[in-house]
Amino acid sequence: MANLLWLQGGACSGNTMSFLNAEEPSAVDLVTDFGINVLWHPSLGMELGDNLQKLLRACVSGEIALDIFAFEGTVVNAPNGTGDWNRFAGRPMKEWVRELANVAQFVVALGDCATWGGIPATAPNPTESQGLQFLKRERGGFLGPDFTAKSGLPVINIPGCPAHPDWITQILVAVATGNAGEITLDEFQRPKTFFTSFTQTGCTRNMHFAYKVSATEFGQRKGCLFYDLGCRGPMTHSPCNRILWNRQSSKTRAGMPCLGCTEPEFPFFDLEPGTVFKTQTVMGVPKDLPAGVDQAGYIKLTGAAKAAAPAWAEEDIFVV
Amino acid sequence: MASETETNNAANEEALRREIETKLRAGLETEAMPRADSHERVQEIIARLRASDGSLEAKLVIGGFTLEPVVHEGIEQACETCMYYLVHRKWCELPELDLPVEPKWSCRLWRI
Repeated sequence: MANLLWLQGGACSGNTMSFLNAEEPSAVDLVTDFGINVLWHPSLGMELGDNLQKLLRACVSGEIALDIFAFEGTVVNAPNGTGDWNRFAGRPMKEWVRELANVAQFVVALGDCATWGGIPATAPNPTESQGLQFLKRERGGFLGPDFTAKSGLPVINIPGCPAHPDWITQILVAVATGNAGEITLDEFQRPKTFFTSFTQTGCTRNMHFAYKVSATEFGQRKGCLFYDLGCRGPMTHSPCNRILWNRQSSKTRAGMPCLGCTEPEFPFFDLEPGTVFKTQTVMGVPKDLPAGVDQAGYIKLTGAAKAAAPAWAEEDIFVV
Repeated sequence: MASETETNNAANEEALRREIETKLRAGLETEAMPRADSHERVQEIIARLRASDGSLEAKLVIGGFTLEPVVHEGIEQACETCMYYLVHRKWCELPELDLPVEPKWSCRLWRI
């Protein structure tokens, strides 16, 4: 039996909604098949008021063993570092976070806000938000760069806006069943099993990417969304086109650009007007090129690919 | 095998292509410079196209069309390498332009 406590800081509850939609395994499977005991969760917990405070204090004191501390949302430090803008169970949430992280075997950050600060930490960051162990790309965050949970692992970051339901439940199961040793993390502490390939991996528009045929409108079935509509699929690490959403689709499959929400810089360009859903260019060349490609190579490749493009690549070949 | 409609469309598009060429050869002054180097400049030009009367001349002038590729900062900006160019139809697919073109033409909204 592994005790799981889930708290929520500066958040929209998107990761909770995502978690409750999990299928493989489902939130119920976690309890019935994998021995996870949900001590408390914002949408599932029964305790309120004094009873909840007692439960949290029992975790901090060690009276109740805290195996997994899952946190959704940012750590809010405003105003002036006090954290009073996000009070929970009688005190600033950040104080609970510090104490619970220090006693947990594993700490898991769920979603962009908890991992790197996400949208709340976008400049000018009025809530003084931080992720648990990062603020955007900068290592450190609320718990500091050297933090490790009792297991010896740093915070396990499962980013996304929201994180995919199955990324959440599969990592929770791995940790709860004693398989944490098999989770290898990348430089941003994301499980490599999910965050090594790109969003573009498995994208149904790859042939349009290959022949440099652009989509010019949302929902268009023909064309790649990278060239004009700001898709970040070629440089975003996520399995969104391998582990599909609702088991059947993804943003790019539906004709919407990937926003790069599993990367620390999300939301990109601080959401300045004109930067969302529009490929940013300098002298006509995208500012952000596919990972590992330089500008000269990109221009050569594009020229050759367009010259070789077959007629079908310019047509809508998908049949409803 | 192309249908009669497709054949007629292709003929109409070719006629429009020749009309554009004729206008440019006759000296229609277009705003080929400054190029749309930045995102802001692109948006500015797109906004002007949207606000225009949508005529062929407005598209050619505001878009900055030329019959030869413009080489800007060492990069040749020909229609044939532009993301909006459909190779087989010889067509610019940028919604605000939506014109028949030739591969060696150029405009200042070029992007790769």
